[in-house]
Amino acid sequence: MNGRLRAVWPPVIIAVIFLAAWQLLVVVQDIKPFLLPSPSLILGNFFGDFSLMFNAALYTGTTAILGLMFGTVVGLVTALIAQRFGVVNKLITPLAAGLATVPIIALTPILNNMFSITSRTPKVIITMIIVFFPIFVNVTRGLIQVQPVQLELMRSMNARPRTVLRQLRIPNAIPFFFTAMKIAAPLSVIAALVSEYFGGPQQGLGSRIASSAANTAYGRAWAYVVASIITGLIFYLIVLAVERWAAPWTGRARSA
Amino acid sequence: MSVTSPVSTTAVQATGIWKVFNEGQANEVTALQDINLTVAPGEFISLIGPSGCGKSTLLRVIADLTQPTKGSAEVAGMSAAEARKQQRYGMAFQQAALFDWRTVQRNVELPLELQGWSKSDRAARAMELLEMVQLADFASHRPWELSGGMQQRVAIARSLAVDPPLLLMDEPFGALDEMTRERMQNELLRIRQETGKSVIFVTHSIPEAVYLSDRVVVMSPRPGRITDIVSVSLGERDEDTREADAFYASVTEVREALRGRTSGGAARARVGEV
Repeated sequence: MNGRLRAVWPPVIIAVIFLAAWQLLVVVQDIKPFLLPSPSLILGNFFGDFSLMFNAALYTGTTAILGLMFGTVVGLVTALIAQRFGVVNKLITPLAAGLATVPIIALTPILNNMFSITSRTPKVIITMIIVFFPIFVNVTRGLIQVQPVQLELMRSMNARPRTVLRQLRIPNAIPFFFTAMKIAAPLSVIAALVSEYFGGPQQGLGSRIASSAANTAYGRAWAYVVASIITGLIFYLIVLAVERWAAPWTGRARSA
Repeated sequence: MSVTSPVSTTAVQATGIWKVFNEGQANEVTALQDINLTVAPGEFISLIGPSGCGKSTLLRVIADLTQPTKGSAEVAGMSAAEARKQQRYGMAFQQAALFDWRTVQRNVELPLELQGWSKSDRAARAMELLEMVQLADFASHRPWELSGGMQQRVAIARSLAVDPPLLLMDEPFGALDEMTRERMQNELLRIRQETGKSVIFVTHSIPEAVYLSDRVVVMSPRPGRITDIVSVSLGERDEDTREADAFYASVTEVREALRGRTSGGAARARVGEV
Protein backbone atom coordinates (compact mmCIF):
# COMPACT_ATOMS: atom_id res chain seq x y z
CA MET A 1 0.00 0.00 0.00
CA ASN A 2 2.84 2.29 0.93
CA GLY A 3 4.49 1.57 -2.40
CA ARG A 4 1.29 2.27 -4.29
CA LEU A 5 0.88 5.64 -2.54
CA ARG A 6 4.44 6.50 -3.40
CA ALA A 7 3.70 5.73 -7.03
CA VAL A 8 0.56 7.91 -7.04
CA TRP A 9 1.91 11.08 -5.43
CA PRO A 10 4.54 12.29 -7.92
CA PRO A 11 2.19 12.55 -10.93
CA VAL A 12 -0.49 14.21 -8.73
CA ILE A 13 1.97 16.83 -7.50
CA ILE A 14 3.24 17.48 -11.02
CA ALA A 15 -0.35 17.88 -12.26
CA VAL A 16 -1.15 20.39 -9.50
CA ILE A 17 2.00 22.43 -10.23
CA PHE A 18 1.22 22.34 -13.95
CA LEU A 19 -2.37 23.56 -13.43
CA ALA A 20 -1.24 26.31 -11.05
CA ALA A 21 1.37 27.53 -13.56
CA TRP A 22 -1.24 27.44 -16.32
CA GLN A 23 -3.71 29.46 -14.22
CA LEU A 24 -1.00 31.98 -13.33
CA LEU A 25 0.06 32.38 -16.95
CA VAL A 26 -3.50 33.03 -18.14
CA VAL A 27 -4.22 35.56 -15.36
CA VAL A 28 -0.91 37.42 -15.47
CA GLN A 29 -0.67 37.57 -19.26
CA ASP A 30 -4.42 38.20 -19.58
CA ILE A 31 -4.76 35.51 -22.26
CA LYS A 32 -8.18 35.47 -23.89
CA PRO A 33 -10.29 32.28 -23.50
CA PHE A 34 -10.48 31.63 -27.28
CA LEU A 35 -6.69 31.23 -27.20
CA LEU A 36 -6.36 29.43 -23.90
CA PRO A 37 -9.00 29.32 -21.18
CA SER A 38 -7.80 29.07 -17.58
CA PRO A 39 -8.08 25.79 -15.66
CA SER A 40 -10.51 27.42 -13.24
CA LEU A 41 -12.83 28.36 -16.14
CA ILE A 42 -12.63 24.86 -17.61
CA LEU A 43 -13.21 23.10 -14.31
CA GLY A 44 -15.97 25.55 -13.45
CA ASN A 45 -17.73 24.60 -16.66
CA PHE A 46 -17.02 20.93 -16.09
CA PHE A 47 -18.57 20.75 -12.65
CA GLY A 48 -21.19 23.41 -13.39
CA ASP A 49 -22.61 21.40 -16.27
CA PHE A 50 -21.69 18.01 -14.91
CA SER A 51 -24.89 16.27 -16.00
CA LEU A 52 -24.36 17.55 -19.58
CA MET A 53 -20.81 16.26 -19.46
CA PHE A 54 -21.92 12.95 -18.06
CA ASN A 55 -24.64 12.42 -20.68
CA ALA A 56 -22.31 13.32 -23.54
CA ALA A 57 -19.66 10.94 -22.21
CA LEU A 58 -22.30 8.25 -21.81
CA TYR A 59 -23.43 8.63 -25.42
CA THR A 60 -19.93 8.58 -26.91
CA GLY A 61 -18.79 5.93 -24.46
CA THR A 62 -21.64 3.65 -25.55
CA THR A 63 -20.63 4.05 -29.20
CA ALA A 64 -17.03 3.32 -28.24
CA ILE A 65 -17.93 0.20 -26.24
CA LEU A 66 -20.11 -1.21 -29.03
CA GLY A 67 -17.36 -0.57 -31.59
CA LEU A 68 -14.73 -1.96 -29.24
CA MET A 69 -16.73 -5.14 -28.64
CA PHE A 70 -17.52 -5.84 -32.29
CA GLY A 71 -14.03 -4.85 -33.45
CA THR A 72 -12.46 -7.12 -30.82
CA VAL A 73 -14.64 -10.09 -31.72
CA VAL A 74 -13.95 -9.68 -35.45
CA GLY A 75 -10.23 -9.20 -34.73
CA LEU A 76 -10.06 -12.34 -32.55
CA VAL A 77 -11.95 -14.53 -35.01
CA THR A 78 -9.84 -13.30 -37.92
CA ALA A 79 -6.65 -13.96 -35.93
CA LEU A 80 -7.77 -17.54 -35.19
CA ILE A 81 -8.47 -18.13 -38.87
CA ALA A 82 -5.15 -16.57 -39.86
CA GLN A 83 -3.27 -18.81 -37.40
CA ARG A 84 -5.06 -21.94 -38.59
CA PHE A 85 -4.49 -21.30 -42.30
CA GLY A 86 -1.14 -19.78 -43.19
CA VAL A 87 -2.38 -18.89 -46.67
CA VAL A 88 -5.26 -16.91 -45.23
CA ASN A 89 -2.79 -15.08 -43.01
CA LYS A 90 -0.81 -13.97 -46.04
CA LEU A 91 -4.06 -12.80 -47.71
CA ILE A 92 -5.60 -11.07 -44.72
CA THR A 93 -2.62 -9.21 -43.32
CA PRO A 94 -2.18 -6.82 -46.30
CA LEU A 95 -5.95 -6.30 -46.37
CA ALA A 96 -5.99 -5.54 -42.66
CA ALA A 97 -3.10 -3.13 -43.08
CA GLY A 98 -5.01 -1.47 -45.92
CA LEU A 99 -8.05 -1.18 -43.70
CA ALA A 100 -5.94 0.42 -40.99
CA THR A 101 -4.83 3.16 -43.37
CA VAL A 102 -8.36 4.07 -44.49
CA PRO A 103 -8.80 7.72 -43.48
CA ILE A 104 -11.75 7.67 -41.11
CA ILE A 105 -12.35 11.35 -41.77
CA ALA A 106 -13.08 10.48 -45.40
CA LEU A 107 -14.98 7.31 -44.65
CA THR A 108 -17.37 8.70 -42.06
CA PRO A 109 -19.46 10.85 -44.43
CA ILE A 110 -19.75 7.87 -46.80
CA LEU A 111 -20.93 5.56 -44.04
CA ASN A 112 -23.32 8.30 -42.90
CA ASN A 113 -24.86 8.11 -46.35
CA MET A 114 -24.92 4.32 -46.47
CA PHE A 115 -26.58 3.97 -43.08
CA SER A 116 -28.98 6.35 -41.42
CA ILE A 117 -27.04 9.42 -40.31
CA THR A 118 -29.29 9.72 -37.26
CA SER A 119 -28.41 6.24 -36.07
CA ARG A 120 -25.36 5.18 -34.12
CA THR A 121 -24.44 2.55 -36.74
CA PRO A 122 -21.93 4.48 -38.90
CA LYS A 123 -20.02 5.58 -35.77
CA VAL A 124 -19.89 2.07 -34.38
CA ILE A 125 -18.57 0.80 -37.73
CA ILE A 126 -15.83 3.44 -37.77
CA THR A 127 -14.82 2.50 -34.23
CA MET A 128 -14.83 -1.18 -35.19
CA ILE A 129 -12.47 -0.57 -38.09
CA ILE A 130 -10.07 1.33 -35.86
CA VAL A 131 -10.17 -1.31 -33.11
CA PHE A 132 -9.89 -4.30 -35.41
CA PHE A 133 -6.32 -3.75 -36.58
CA PRO A 134 -4.30 -3.72 -33.32
CA ILE A 135 -6.31 -6.66 -32.00
CA PHE A 136 -5.86 -8.72 -35.16
CA VAL A 137 -2.13 -8.03 -35.55
CA ASN A 138 -1.20 -8.64 -31.91
CA VAL A 139 -3.35 -11.69 -31.29
CA THR A 140 -2.21 -13.35 -34.52
CA ARG A 141 1.37 -12.87 -33.42
CA GLY A 142 0.59 -14.28 -29.97
CA LEU A 143 -1.03 -17.38 -31.50
CA ILE A 144 1.88 -18.00 -33.88
CA GLN A 145 4.86 -16.94 -31.77
CA VAL A 146 4.98 -19.93 -29.45
CA GLN A 147 8.31 -21.24 -28.15
CA PRO A 148 9.33 -24.08 -30.52
CA VAL A 149 10.32 -26.19 -27.50
CA GLN A 150 6.78 -25.88 -26.12
CA LEU A 151 5.40 -27.11 -29.44
CA GLU A 152 7.79 -30.08 -29.36
CA LEU A 153 6.74 -30.80 -25.80
CA MET A 154 3.07 -30.85 -26.84
CA ARG A 155 3.90 -33.16 -29.73
CA SER A 156 5.90 -35.47 -27.45
CA MET A 157 2.76 -35.70 -25.32
CA ASN A 158 0.73 -36.61 -28.40
CA ALA A 159 -1.44 -33.48 -28.22
CA ARG A 160 -3.92 -32.84 -31.05
CA PRO A 161 -3.81 -29.48 -32.88
CA ARG A 162 -7.00 -28.47 -31.10
CA THR A 163 -5.41 -29.19 -27.72
CA VAL A 164 -2.29 -27.25 -28.74
CA LEU A 165 -4.54 -24.32 -29.61
CA ARG A 166 -6.44 -24.44 -26.34
CA GLN A 167 -3.61 -25.29 -23.96
CA LEU A 168 -0.72 -23.42 -25.58
CA ARG A 169 -1.52 -20.95 -28.36
CA ILE A 170 -4.49 -19.18 -26.81
CA PRO A 171 -2.94 -18.74 -23.33
CA ASN A 172 0.25 -17.59 -25.06
CA ALA A 173 -1.74 -14.95 -26.98
CA ILE A 174 -3.46 -13.49 -23.90
CA PRO A 175 -0.67 -11.02 -22.96
CA PHE A 176 -0.58 -9.93 -26.61
CA PHE A 177 -4.35 -9.46 -26.49
CA PHE A 178 -4.15 -7.18 -23.46
CA THR A 179 -1.35 -5.16 -24.99
CA ALA A 180 -3.62 -4.61 -27.99
CA MET A 181 -6.58 -3.75 -25.76
CA LYS A 182 -4.56 -1.09 -23.96
CA ILE A 183 -4.10 0.60 -27.33
CA ALA A 184 -7.56 -0.15 -28.70
CA ALA A 185 -9.69 0.87 -25.71
CA PRO A 186 -8.68 4.57 -25.50
CA LEU A 187 -8.49 4.62 -29.30
CA SER A 188 -12.13 3.52 -29.50
CA VAL A 189 -13.18 6.63 -27.56
CA ILE A 190 -11.23 8.87 -29.92
CA ALA A 191 -12.68 7.10 -32.98
CA ALA A 192 -16.24 7.41 -31.65
CA LEU A 193 -15.67 11.07 -30.82
CA VAL A 194 -14.14 12.02 -34.18
CA SER A 195 -16.88 10.20 -36.09
CA GLU A 196 -19.41 12.56 -34.45
CA TYR A 197 -17.84 15.55 -36.22
CA PHE A 198 -19.64 14.62 -39.43
CA GLY A 199 -23.21 15.12 -38.37
CA GLY A 200 -25.82 12.94 -36.79
CA PRO A 201 -27.16 13.06 -33.25
CA GLN A 202 -25.74 15.94 -31.23
CA GLN A 203 -25.51 14.34 -27.77
CA GLY A 204 -21.94 13.04 -28.07
CA LEU A 205 -18.69 14.55 -26.81
CA GLY A 206 -17.41 15.20 -30.33
CA SER A 207 -20.52 17.09 -31.39
CA ARG A 208 -20.55 19.05 -28.11
CA ILE A 209 -16.92 20.10 -28.43
CA ALA A 210 -17.54 21.27 -32.02
CA SER A 211 -20.75 23.17 -31.22
CA SER A 212 -19.39 24.76 -28.03
CA ALA A 213 -16.35 26.03 -29.89
CA ALA A 214 -18.57 27.33 -32.72
CA ASN A 215 -20.63 29.22 -30.11
CA THR A 216 -17.46 30.76 -28.61
CA ALA A 217 -18.12 28.87 -25.35
CA TYR A 218 -14.45 27.94 -25.10
CA GLY A 219 -14.51 27.08 -21.42
CA ARG A 220 -17.27 24.57 -22.09
CA ALA A 221 -15.54 23.16 -25.19
CA TRP A 222 -12.48 22.48 -23.05
CA ALA A 223 -14.62 21.02 -20.29
CA TYR A 224 -15.91 18.48 -22.84
CA VAL A 225 -12.29 17.74 -23.75
CA VAL A 226 -11.67 17.00 -20.07
CA ALA A 227 -14.72 14.69 -20.07
CA SER A 228 -13.29 12.92 -23.17
CA ILE A 229 -9.94 12.40 -21.49
CA ILE A 230 -11.62 10.98 -18.40
CA THR A 231 -13.73 8.63 -20.55
CA GLY A 232 -10.63 7.37 -22.35
CA LEU A 233 -8.79 6.90 -19.05
CA ILE A 234 -11.70 4.92 -17.61
CA PHE A 235 -11.57 2.61 -20.63
CA TYR A 236 -7.84 2.14 -20.14
CA LEU A 237 -8.14 1.48 -16.41
CA ILE A 238 -10.89 -1.10 -16.98
CA VAL A 239 -8.55 -2.97 -19.34
CA LEU A 240 -5.76 -2.83 -16.75
CA ALA A 241 -8.06 -4.19 -14.04
CA VAL A 242 -9.37 -7.01 -16.23
CA GLU A 243 -5.81 -7.94 -17.23
CA ARG A 244 -4.68 -8.13 -13.63
CA TRP A 245 -7.63 -10.33 -12.77
CA ALA A 246 -7.67 -12.57 -15.84
CA ALA A 247 -3.96 -12.88 -16.66
CA PRO A 248 -1.87 -12.33 -13.53
CA TRP A 249 1.21 -13.77 -15.24
CA THR A 250 1.46 -11.06 -17.90
CA GLY A 251 4.14 -8.45 -17.52
CA ARG A 252 6.26 -10.91 -15.54
CA ALA A 253 9.64 -12.10 -16.62
CA ARG A 254 8.82 -15.16 -18.65
CA SER A 255 10.31 -18.44 -17.53
CA ALA A 256 12.60 -20.26 -19.92
CA MET B 1 -0.90 -55.13 -29.90
CA SER B 2 -1.83 -54.64 -26.30
CA VAL B 3 -1.97 -51.18 -24.84
CA THR B 4 0.03 -52.11 -21.78
CA SER B 5 3.75 -52.32 -22.31
CA PRO B 6 4.63 -55.54 -24.11
CA VAL B 7 7.45 -57.32 -22.39
CA SER B 8 10.43 -56.14 -24.34
CA THR B 9 14.06 -56.99 -23.85
CA THR B 10 15.19 -53.63 -25.19
CA ALA B 11 14.15 -50.15 -24.08
CA VAL B 12 15.28 -48.60 -27.34
CA GLN B 13 16.41 -50.19 -30.57
CA ALA B 14 17.80 -47.95 -33.31
CA THR B 15 18.48 -49.78 -36.56
CA GLY B 16 20.37 -48.30 -39.52
CA ILE B 17 19.13 -44.75 -38.95
CA TRP B 18 20.05 -42.12 -41.51
CA LYS B 19 18.92 -38.53 -41.41
CA VAL B 20 19.76 -36.31 -44.36
CA PHE B 21 18.69 -32.67 -44.47
CA ASN B 22 18.16 -30.89 -47.83
CA GLU B 23 18.63 -34.15 -49.67
CA GLY B 24 19.85 -33.72 -53.24
CA GLN B 25 20.53 -30.01 -52.83
CA ALA B 26 23.82 -28.16 -52.69
CA ASN B 27 23.51 -27.69 -48.91
CA GLU B 28 22.84 -31.37 -48.21
CA VAL B 29 23.82 -32.37 -44.66
CA THR B 30 24.06 -35.90 -43.35
CA ALA B 31 23.03 -35.41 -39.73
CA LEU B 32 22.96 -39.12 -38.94
CA GLN B 33 24.81 -41.88 -40.77
CA ASP B 34 23.85 -45.47 -40.17
CA ILE B 35 23.15 -45.29 -36.44
CA ASN B 36 22.72 -48.60 -34.64
CA LEU B 37 22.12 -48.51 -30.91
CA THR B 38 20.48 -50.76 -28.35
CA VAL B 39 19.49 -49.54 -24.91
CA ALA B 40 18.66 -52.16 -22.29
CA PRO B 41 15.76 -51.66 -19.86
CA GLY B 42 16.95 -49.64 -16.87
CA GLU B 43 20.12 -48.54 -18.63
CA PHE B 44 21.42 -44.96 -18.51
CA ILE B 45 22.95 -43.89 -21.83
CA SER B 46 24.56 -40.55 -22.63
CA LEU B 47 25.00 -39.18 -26.13
CA ILE B 48 28.02 -36.91 -26.29
CA GLY B 49 29.79 -35.08 -29.08
CA PRO B 50 30.51 -31.64 -30.51
CA SER B 51 27.81 -29.43 -32.01
CA GLY B 52 26.45 -30.83 -35.23
CA CYS B 53 27.20 -34.46 -34.42
CA GLY B 54 23.50 -35.28 -34.56
CA LYS B 55 22.98 -36.24 -30.90
CA SER B 56 19.85 -34.12 -30.55
CA THR B 57 18.60 -35.28 -33.94
CA LEU B 58 19.02 -38.91 -32.84
CA LEU B 59 17.02 -38.18 -29.69
CA ARG B 60 14.29 -36.55 -31.79
CA VAL B 61 14.12 -39.55 -34.11
CA ILE B 62 13.66 -41.84 -31.10
CA ALA B 63 10.98 -39.45 -29.76
CA ASP B 64 9.21 -39.44 -33.15
CA LEU B 65 9.57 -35.66 -33.29
CA THR B 66 11.35 -36.01 -36.62
CA GLN B 67 11.35 -38.76 -39.25
CA PRO B 68 14.52 -40.64 -40.20
CA THR B 69 15.46 -40.64 -43.89
CA LYS B 70 16.27 -44.35 -43.62
CA GLY B 71 16.14 -46.92 -40.85
CA SER B 72 13.85 -47.17 -37.85
CA ALA B 73 13.66 -46.62 -34.12
CA GLU B 74 11.75 -48.82 -31.71
CA VAL B 75 10.79 -47.91 -28.18
CA ALA B 76 9.59 -50.63 -25.78
CA GLY B 77 9.15 -53.03 -28.68
CA MET B 78 6.92 -50.77 -30.77
CA SER B 79 7.56 -48.17 -33.45
CA ALA B 80 8.63 -44.72 -32.27
CA ALA B 81 5.35 -43.25 -33.55
CA GLU B 82 3.28 -45.81 -31.66
CA ALA B 83 5.39 -45.28 -28.54
CA ARG B 84 4.74 -41.55 -28.71
CA LYS B 85 0.99 -42.11 -29.11
CA GLN B 86 1.00 -44.45 -26.14
CA GLN B 87 3.20 -42.13 -24.08
CA ARG B 88 5.93 -44.71 -23.56
CA TYR B 89 8.50 -41.99 -22.98
CA GLY B 90 8.76 -38.66 -21.17
CA MET B 91 10.84 -35.83 -22.47
CA ALA B 92 12.83 -32.96 -20.94
CA PHE B 93 14.60 -30.18 -22.82
CA GLN B 94 17.34 -27.64 -22.12
CA GLN B 95 14.60 -25.08 -21.56
CA ALA B 96 12.16 -26.15 -18.89
CA ALA B 97 9.33 -25.12 -21.27
CA LEU B 98 6.88 -24.61 -18.41
CA PHE B 99 3.63 -22.81 -19.10
CA ASP B 100 3.56 -19.45 -17.29
CA TRP B 101 -0.23 -19.49 -17.08
CA ARG B 102 -0.24 -22.69 -15.04
CA THR B 103 0.90 -23.20 -11.47
CA VAL B 104 3.78 -25.58 -10.81
CA GLN B 105 1.34 -28.34 -9.91
CA ARG B 106 -0.79 -27.82 -13.01
CA ASN B 107 2.34 -27.88 -15.18
CA VAL B 108 3.10 -31.34 -13.83
CA GLU B 109 -0.53 -32.32 -14.42
CA LEU B 110 -0.44 -31.32 -18.10
CA PRO B 111 0.44 -34.75 -19.57
CA LEU B 112 -2.17 -36.37 -17.32
CA GLU B 113 -4.77 -33.86 -18.44
CA LEU B 114 -4.05 -34.71 -22.08
CA GLN B 115 -4.56 -38.37 -21.14
CA GLY B 116 -7.93 -37.59 -19.63
CA TRP B 117 -7.15 -38.30 -15.96
CA SER B 118 -9.70 -37.11 -13.43
CA LYS B 119 -8.96 -33.95 -11.50
CA SER B 120 -8.37 -35.63 -8.15
CA ASP B 121 -6.17 -38.38 -9.64
CA ARG B 122 -4.14 -35.72 -11.42
CA ALA B 123 -3.63 -33.71 -8.27
CA ALA B 124 -2.62 -36.77 -6.24
CA ARG B 125 -0.11 -37.91 -8.88
CA ALA B 126 1.32 -34.40 -9.30
CA MET B 127 1.87 -34.04 -5.55
CA GLU B 128 3.57 -37.43 -5.43
CA LEU B 129 5.97 -36.31 -8.19
CA LEU B 130 6.57 -32.89 -6.66
CA GLU B 131 7.51 -34.63 -3.44
CA MET B 132 9.95 -36.78 -5.38
CA VAL B 133 11.67 -33.69 -6.82
CA GLN B 134 11.33 -31.98 -3.41
CA LEU B 135 9.14 -29.14 -4.60
CA ALA B 136 5.87 -30.01 -2.85
CA ASP B 137 5.97 -26.65 -1.03
CA PHE B 138 5.97 -24.84 -4.36
CA ALA B 139 2.94 -26.58 -5.87
CA SER B 140 0.86 -23.41 -6.08
CA HIS B 141 3.71 -21.14 -7.20
CA ARG B 142 4.05 -19.83 -10.73
CA PRO B 143 7.01 -21.03 -12.82
CA TRP B 144 8.63 -17.58 -12.99
CA GLU B 145 8.90 -17.51 -9.20
CA LEU B 146 11.27 -20.50 -9.29
CA SER B 147 15.02 -20.61 -9.94
CA GLY B 148 16.34 -22.26 -13.10
CA GLY B 149 17.22 -25.48 -11.26
CA MET B 150 13.79 -25.66 -9.64
CA GLN B 151 12.10 -25.09 -12.99
CA GLN B 152 14.11 -27.95 -14.45
CA ARG B 153 13.03 -30.21 -11.58
CA VAL B 154 9.40 -29.36 -12.37
CA ALA B 155 10.08 -30.26 -16.00
CA ILE B 156 11.53 -33.61 -14.90
CA ALA B 157 8.51 -34.26 -12.68
CA ARG B 158 6.30 -33.51 -15.69
CA SER B 159 8.26 -35.93 -17.88
CA LEU B 160 7.67 -38.65 -15.28
CA ALA B 161 3.96 -37.91 -14.88
CA VAL B 162 2.51 -40.75 -16.96
CA ASP B 163 5.14 -43.12 -15.53
CA PRO B 164 6.81 -43.94 -18.86
CA PRO B 165 9.56 -46.60 -18.89
CA LEU B 166 11.92 -44.26 -20.80
CA LEU B 167 13.19 -40.73 -20.25
CA LEU B 168 14.60 -38.72 -23.17
CA MET B 169 16.61 -35.73 -21.98
CA ASP B 170 18.10 -33.11 -24.29
CA GLU B 171 20.79 -31.20 -22.35
CA PRO B 172 18.38 -30.63 -19.45
CA PHE B 173 21.10 -29.16 -17.20
CA GLY B 174 22.89 -27.23 -19.95
CA ALA B 175 21.72 -23.82 -18.75
CA LEU B 176 22.45 -24.37 -15.05
CA ASP B 177 25.49 -23.29 -13.04
CA GLU B 178 28.01 -25.92 -12.03
CA MET B 179 26.89 -26.35 -8.41
CA THR B 180 23.21 -26.61 -9.28
CA ARG B 181 24.16 -28.93 -12.08
CA GLU B 182 25.92 -31.41 -9.80
CA ARG B 183 22.99 -31.37 -7.37
CA MET B 184 20.60 -32.02 -10.24
CA GLN B 185 22.73 -34.93 -11.44
CA ASN B 186 22.48 -36.54 -7.99
CA GLU B 187 18.72 -35.89 -7.98
CA LEU B 188 18.35 -37.50 -11.37
CA LEU B 189 20.33 -40.60 -10.33
CA ARG B 190 18.21 -40.91 -7.19
CA ILE B 191 14.97 -40.60 -9.15
CA ARG B 192 16.21 -43.10 -11.69
CA GLN B 193 17.10 -45.50 -8.87
CA GLU B 194 13.65 -45.10 -7.33
CA THR B 195 11.78 -45.54 -10.59
CA GLY B 196 14.03 -47.89 -12.60
CA LYS B 197 13.63 -45.88 -15.81
CA SER B 198 15.83 -46.17 -18.86
CA VAL B 199 17.38 -42.84 -19.75
CA ILE B 200 18.89 -41.39 -22.91
CA PHE B 201 20.69 -38.21 -21.96
CA VAL B 202 22.17 -35.73 -24.44
CA THR B 203 25.03 -33.62 -23.09
CA HIS B 204 28.25 -31.95 -24.13
CA SER B 205 29.84 -32.26 -20.69
CA ILE B 206 32.24 -35.19 -20.37
CA PRO B 207 32.18 -35.40 -16.52
CA GLU B 208 28.40 -35.22 -16.57
CA ALA B 209 28.16 -38.06 -19.09
CA VAL B 210 30.59 -40.23 -17.12
CA TYR B 211 29.01 -39.52 -13.73
CA LEU B 212 25.49 -40.36 -14.88
CA SER B 213 25.87 -43.14 -17.40
CA ASP B 214 26.29 -46.86 -17.71
CA ARG B 215 27.50 -46.27 -21.25
CA VAL B 216 28.64 -43.11 -23.01
CA VAL B 217 27.93 -43.00 -26.74
CA VAL B 218 30.55 -40.85 -28.44
CA MET B 219 29.48 -39.17 -31.66
CA SER B 220 31.29 -37.07 -34.23
CA PRO B 221 30.05 -34.65 -36.88
CA ARG B 222 30.03 -34.41 -40.70
CA PRO B 223 28.56 -36.94 -41.09
CA GLY B 224 26.98 -37.46 -37.66
CA ARG B 225 27.88 -40.96 -36.55
CA ILE B 226 28.72 -43.09 -33.53
CA THR B 227 32.50 -43.39 -33.26
CA ASP B 228 32.83 -45.16 -29.95
CA ILE B 229 30.89 -46.47 -26.98
CA VAL B 230 32.57 -46.22 -23.58
CA SER B 231 31.33 -48.40 -20.73
CA VAL B 232 31.49 -46.83 -17.32
CA SER B 233 31.57 -49.04 -14.23
CA LEU B 234 31.70 -46.84 -11.19
CA GLY B 235 29.10 -48.68 -9.13
CA GLU B 236 26.92 -46.68 -6.78
CA ARG B 237 27.62 -42.95 -7.19
CA ASP B 238 28.20 -40.61 -4.27
CA GLU B 239 30.09 -37.38 -3.66
CA ASP B 240 33.43 -39.23 -3.60
CA THR B 241 32.82 -40.70 -7.03
CA ARG B 242 33.64 -37.39 -8.70
CA GLU B 243 37.13 -37.51 -7.20
CA ALA B 244 37.81 -41.22 -7.67
CA ASP B 245 40.61 -42.44 -9.95
CA ALA B 246 38.19 -44.68 -11.84
CA PHE B 247 36.07 -41.58 -12.59
CA TYR B 248 39.07 -39.71 -14.03
CA ALA B 249 40.05 -42.77 -16.02
CA SER B 250 36.63 -42.90 -17.64
CA VAL B 251 36.67 -39.15 -18.28
CA THR B 252 40.02 -39.54 -20.01
CA GLU B 253 38.75 -42.45 -22.04
CA VAL B 254 35.72 -40.48 -23.25
CA ARG B 255 37.88 -37.43 -23.97
CA GLU B 256 40.25 -39.46 -26.10
CA ALA B 257 37.38 -41.12 -27.89
CA LEU B 258 36.08 -37.63 -28.69
CA ARG B 259 39.50 -36.72 -30.09
CA GLY B 260 39.18 -39.71 -32.32
CA ARG B 261 41.99 -41.91 -30.99
CA THR B 262 41.87 -45.01 -28.89
CA SER B 263 43.16 -44.61 -25.37
CA GLY B 264 46.93 -45.02 -25.16
CA GLY B 265 47.84 -48.61 -24.33
CA ALA B 266 45.40 -49.31 -21.52
CA ALA B 267 43.02 -51.84 -22.94
CA ARG B 268 39.81 -50.91 -21.19
CA ALA B 269 36.70 -52.95 -21.31
CA ARG B 270 34.67 -51.47 -24.08
CA VAL B 271 31.33 -52.62 -25.32
CA GLY B 272 32.33 -52.29 -28.91
CA GLU B 273 30.28 -51.92 -32.02
CA VAL B 274 26.72 -52.53 -31.00
